[in-house]
Amino acid sequence: MDPAGVFAVRYSQDRALLRTRKQWLALAVFLIALAVLPLAVGPRLIAVANIMLISAIVVVGLQICTGYAGQVNLGQAAFMGVGAYTAAVLAEKTGMSFLLAIPLSGVAAAGFGFVFGLSAARIKGFYLALTTIAAQFVFHFAVLNLPGSWLGGSNGATVPPATLFGYRIASDTSLYYLCLVSAVIMICGAFGIVRSRYGRAFVAVRDDDVAAGIMGINVVATKATAFLVGAFYAGVGGALWAYMLRFVAVDQFTLFNSVFFIAMIIVGGMGSVTGALIGVFVIRAIQELISTLGPELAVILPFLGGDIVFATMNVFLGGTIALFLIVEPKGLMHRWNIIKAGYRLWPFPY
Amino acid sequence: MILDFINYAINGALLGLLYALIAMGFVVIYRASKVFNFAQGELVVLGGFLQWWMVVNIGLPMYVGIPLAFVLAGVLGLLIERIFFARLVGESVFAMVMVTIGLLVLLRGVVLLAFGPQVRPFPIVFPLQPLVIGELMIPTNLLWGGVLTVLAAVGMSWFFNRTRTGLTMTAVAEDHQVALSMGISVKRSIAFAWVLGCVLSTLGAVVYLSGKSLNFLASDIGFAALPVALLAGLESIGGLLLAGVIVGVIQGLATAYLDPLVGGAVGSVLPFVIMLLILLVRPTGLFGWRTIERV
Repeated sequence: MDPAGVFAVRYSQDRALLRTRKQWLALAVFLIALAVLPLAVGPRLIAVANIMLISAIVVVGLQICTGYAGQVNLGQAAFMGVGAYTAAVLAEKTGMSFLLAIPLSGVAAAGFGFVFGLSAARIKGFYLALTTIAAQFVFHFAVLNLPGSWLGGSNGATVPPATLFGYRIASDTSLYYLCLVSAVIMICGAFGIVRSRYGRAFVAVRDDDVAAGIMGINVVATKATAFLVGAFYAGVGGALWAYMLRFVAVDQFTLFNSVFFIAMIIVGGMGSVTGALIGVFVIRAIQELISTLGPELAVILPFLGGDIVFATMNVFLGGTIALFLIVEPKGLMHRWNIIKAGYRLWPFPY
Repeated sequence: MILDFINYAINGALLGLLYALIAMGFVVIYRASKVFNFAQGELVVLGGFLQWWMVVNIGLPMYVGIPLAFVLAGVLGLLIERIFFARLVGESVFAMVMVTIGLLVLLRGVVLLAFGPQVRPFPIVFPLQPLVIGELMIPTNLLWGGVLTVLAAVGMSWFFNRTRTGLTMTAVAEDHQVALSMGISVKRSIAFAWVLGCVLSTLGAVVYLSGKSLNFLASDIGFAALPVALLAGLESIGGLLLAGVIVGVIQGLATAYLDPLVGGAVGSVLPFVIMLLILLVRPTGLFGWRTIERV
């Protein structure tokens, strides 16, 4: 709903994502704030911001696959891992520039995701979600059992730093800009995808795939495309992850991480790109808070030792998922939209 | 040589029956509530820890402690239903399944907070010596587990297909809305599903962990049992036995003969490959319901 007094008089206005000058202003201020963030905060928080930006890319992909197309995907971490390993191999073995390696990692992950998406030709509903768990196991198996000289097996693979015109992108701040630019590009792309013909097909398939098929949508192709797009995002995120840590190992991409990503879209709100971003920010921020407070918690509950952070995080995350599904199933974004609509309508009820 | 083969096959089949027992937790919950329970592995771990707590930590004799653990597991199932699922009746099944994903994470955290990350010794319920027949060596816990699995499968199958209560639950698994409008209590059905699921998981924990060590990582068995459940088809309890034996024998033989060639772990990933192939050929599993969809 638009603010009072804003009417579209041209189709281009009707299609625009940002409709008023104030919205443009808010976006510009937000982006500038993100750009100058490294000047304002310390390296610790910049490292956290990097992880948030990478997660944002991966989770936006998951949002397209699960939130828009309705295909529960429990293999997003594996798709991310495929991207990370592709980037590692391309950078280490061929010395390829990251400008090419990152999109190619996305393509590799998209291919892997597409294979699992293709099983939609025969499998429906939750059976399909369960095959994505198989993706997770196949990924682990493949990495650990391919010859060690290819992917490094259980030792993991090292990644050389990304370089641009002889400048090494290795410090947290330079990585931050790399992640920020990538995230902005990918998120703009996501906004484009979800309101395109494909995005509308995703929503139709999510709401009722039989009805969508009758309307002339190729349901199987749509589901496979959803996996392809989601996995592409995961692959790009994975490549950035590889360049950030400069080391990839198979246990960075577990089923547990996939569940984490799902939690983020539940908290943020299913079926909203902005919701995915909010979910990433909220969950990662609280995760960071718990790991900062962890040592103090360990003093209060000494018998748990170093695992207190992990344990508390789990209780918190699981509780949050359940709480949101029961109390606020549409996520924080929905609540925000209600508040916004209420503000615009005030003092009238509707 | 041929004896080795038979030995691997029998051990594989018994391991498969253990998977079938764990998978029965999935299927029972699915059959009575249409919810796929991702937290199955965590229920097994929780059941295991309840028994450890009763028998090793408190020091009750085994014949008191273990039944008590089963009762507690049932109470836990009821608690899960009361806290989470009772509020979701009438919401989409999708939301309920998502809650089980939350439950997976939550229960892992609760286990860590309540029992700690240490490795604990599990009471020895079944004798440790394997049963030796000629040259065949059969682990006793798996043998007993196999017998228990068959008994449980027959009992559950009878319950869901022959009794009035079981059939009303089957209606819930078909469609919540329809069941509600027929006067069937979806809530009670879901409560029953979770109690039964928790008790079966605890039974699985006895068989799986007897005489072994226990920590929160034991929950991996939940996902290892997944191919069995999908192969049988999520609605079929009797089919689990056959599916378990198929997956178990293939896994046992692969571990014995293929692992040395490839360098390990074929046995653990092969069930998932079989599962994918079978689902592609026959999406509802071997014995699952074929549903006709209407708009």
